[in-house]
Amino acid sequence: MSVLLAQSVTKIYSSKGNVSYKALEDINLEVHPGEFVGVMGPSGSGKTTLLNILATIDKPTSGHIEINGTNPTKLKNKQLALFRRRELGFIFQDFNLLDTLSIKENILLPLVLEKMDVREMESRLQECAQLLGIEHILAKRTYEVSGGQKQRAAIARAIIHRPSILLADELTGNLDSKAAKDVMESLRQLNEQMNATIMMVTHDPFAASYCRRIIFIKDGKFFSEIRRGTNRQAFFQQILDALSVLGGNFDEVSPTRV
Amino acid sequence: MKFHQLAFKNIRGNWHQYSAFFLSSVFSVTLFFIYAAFIFHPDVINGHIRGGAKVRTGMTACEYIIMIFSFFFVLYSISAFLKSRKKEFGLLALFGLTNGQIKRMVYYENLLISLLSITTGIGLGILFSKLFFMALAVLLEVDSPIRFFIPPKALLFTAGCFFLLFQAITLMTLFQVGRTEIVDLLKESKKPKSLPLASKWLVLLSALCIGGGYSLAVQMNGNNAVLVMLPILFLVITGTYFLFTQSSVVILRSLSRNKPLYYRGTNLLTISQLVFKIKDNARILFMVSILCAVVLTASATMYVFNQSQRDQIMAHIPQTIGFVERGLHEHQVIDPQKLKEILQQDGVEIDYEAKLAGVPVSIMLKPNWQQDVLVVSATDYNQLARRVKGTTQVQVDKGHAVFVYPYHEMSGGFFRENQPVRISAANMGMNLVVDKEVSGAVVIPMEATSFLLVLNDAQYQEMMAQVPDSYKVVAYGYELKHWESTGETVKKIEQLVPDDQSMYFRSRVEDYRDINQFNSLTLFIGLFVSFLFFIASGSIIFFKLFTELQDDQAQFRALVRIGMSLPEIRRIVSTQIAAIFFIPCVVGIVHTLFAMKSLSNLLGGNIWPYALLVVAIYIVMQSAYYFVTRRSYMKKITNEVFVN
Repeated sequence: MSVLLAQSVTKIYSSKGNVSYKALEDINLEVHPGEFVGVMGPSGSGKTTLLNILATIDKPTSGHIEINGTNPTKLKNKQLALFRRRELGFIFQDFNLLDTLSIKENILLPLVLEKMDVREMESRLQECAQLLGIEHILAKRTYEVSGGQKQRAAIARAIIHRPSILLADELTGNLDSKAAKDVMESLRQLNEQMNATIMMVTHDPFAASYCRRIIFIKDGKFFSEIRRGTNRQAFFQQILDALSVLGGNFDEVSPTRV
Repeated sequence: MKFHQLAFKNIRGNWHQYSAFFLSSVFSVTLFFIYAAFIFHPDVINGHIRGGAKVRTGMTACEYIIMIFSFFFVLYSISAFLKSRKKEFGLLALFGLTNGQIKRMVYYENLLISLLSITTGIGLGILFSKLFFMALAVLLEVDSPIRFFIPPKALLFTAGCFFLLFQAITLMTLFQVGRTEIVDLLKESKKPKSLPLASKWLVLLSALCIGGGYSLAVQMNGNNAVLVMLPILFLVITGTYFLFTQSSVVILRSLSRNKPLYYRGTNLLTISQLVFKIKDNARILFMVSILCAVVLTASATMYVFNQSQRDQIMAHIPQTIGFVERGLHEHQVIDPQKLKEILQQDGVEIDYEAKLAGVPVSIMLKPNWQQDVLVVSATDYNQLARRVKGTTQVQVDKGHAVFVYPYHEMSGGFFRENQPVRISAANMGMNLVVDKEVSGAVVIPMEATSFLLVLNDAQYQEMMAQVPDSYKVVAYGYELKHWESTGETVKKIEQLVPDDQSMYFRSRVEDYRDINQFNSLTLFIGLFVSFLFFIASGSIIFFKLFTELQDDQAQFRALVRIGMSLPEIRRIVSTQIAAIFFIPCVVGIVHTLFAMKSLSNLLGGNIWPYALLVVAIYIVMQSAYYFVTRRSYMKKITNEVFVN
């Protein structure tokens, strides 16, 4: 039984001038419960397209997708929204926390939309906040906390409704190295202690070294796959080697350090 | 691309922001031009149009109002545009545009949009002026229609005024440009919004001000009106200002403390965003609600005055036709028989006839006021009082009398209670005690019939028997059915009256038509100005909403990823836009209702049906505006959020 299953997914963008562009070609992917998978590739390799398709906000041109046993392409708009809300958790590069809400309200948002009982909400909030070490900033506003804290709040928001899978998009892209380390540690803890299933798209070898398995894609096609042993440092070296084989431009996303 | 093309492209790119402002400007130019076309119309200037001069004065006043209002409206709109484009200017400055060049670009843009609104406005004005003249001709009841003519003066005047207005405002706003550092300009949009705070004391002040203003308004009457009018205005305006800047925050924050309500579905987003939206736009909402109150109060007051004047005419001229004959059997003014023949010919039915005969006696009413007063019988008087609305029946004993003065508006005080009076006519005299005085005319008040002295039937007969018939006075009255439309018939009857007797004949129809015409003209001309206010205030809200569009789009895009559905987004957007549109409207309406309460204290009649009608029309119009705005806003959101 797999949480996420993608079989020969292909995505072709065609514009009016009959110029079609193959963003993804015959991608096969399977993620099992409790896995921590990374997807890497140079810019233009189709990482984001793949993530968008898995996130059900884009549809594949052909191929089959299954998340927790459901085929999201078969769902109607309203059901799809509910599906995303219940089955998926999202972490974005630019956090996407709402300025108008406090950190606590931001985290609670998915439960509030589900109209859950207030006491249940509070207890879940405490649980997540403790795990991520952000209890002391719950009452603060988004502009009062650091980037790393924002991203951990965003992680709390992504897991509070207990989704089947967490999807992360360049989640360290806007963070300095210390904050990136903290955030990745949190994610590892989640994976190891809570057995959370995570799939992360990144171009940062350091962040990727926290994954158990990394899939490399290039020009929209599957390129290679490596698995981690016991040592993270060794895995980091392995990733760098794989990237050098992969080639391409990796310094495209120049993260603005804030 | 040439430099001026950049300005042109900017306008095209920002069109959805400009559109509401542009439409409001066009409407004010159109209105200004149409009024100017009438003011400078040769037929009006030469006095060929009856009543034209009066209308002209009213319109000139409106021209001033339009100009002053347009000045503030355009000034506000343009500076708000510039504020919303700080980031764009920062980017241009980064590319190396000098401050002078940016200013020139802004100048070109404003020039373009002003020329566009002036030409469109005048074009529409020319198009609709004939229609306007036709409506005016109907209201003025002129025989030949006002001819279609575009006075070159009106054209020049309108174009010149608005061109100068736009130029002046552009120059004023140019000072805003290029005063900030580039870094700050670029950061402008990213600046985090801090949580709105409110002062407890100011909230209290706002409640006290509004409460105080309202209670003064409720207690206002004819005696203290002048004294309390300004304090009411001051209190209510101050209170409203703090209501929007302070109390709104407190109210919404207290809503957010109610967990079961706040943490439920879209409420969380709706309420938390509304705190920011209302606080950010507090001044606009304040201005709009005051504007709304002013427009509504003015419209309702005009309407109420129109209606109360009608009631007054009914009271002052109790029967449609009234005339007074001197001599019991004389028919110097008109023969009732002939009168009835004409009525029958025209198929006009008589509702009731009035005939009140009496003896005029001379009484000293007040020092230096010797007045002929008609002595009438209680039975005759009561019979009429039963028919005429607003008059009171009386009970008179022998040796007593009741004094009747014609107009309720008179202050009275002619007789104390139980004041003795001596009356004498021909060669007899009588000593009486005046029980009381009442007001209200039962027949047309004309010389001797203005004031009545109601006597006991027996004593009245006694007096009538002693006085020769030629000395007596008779008031005749004919109340007609559907009297408003009997103008032609009444005119025919009036022609039968000999010239030297015309002062003894009066009809209500002519008076009614005069005030009705005046009022409908005021309403007609004022209506357009009110409508301009309404459109402009809506366009400010419209613009404010759209400046936040990009932030909202980004937010909703993130929310959609998290799993928010389209109906949920629609609910949030609808509630927020509704709040922004209707809160000032509701506040304005409540202000208006209290103003109407004061007015009803002053006028003493039931004005509520009229006032509520005006309010209802306003709500309907505001709702239409709301639905249009919501539609176009929602379209922008869905286009951006759901099509990647």
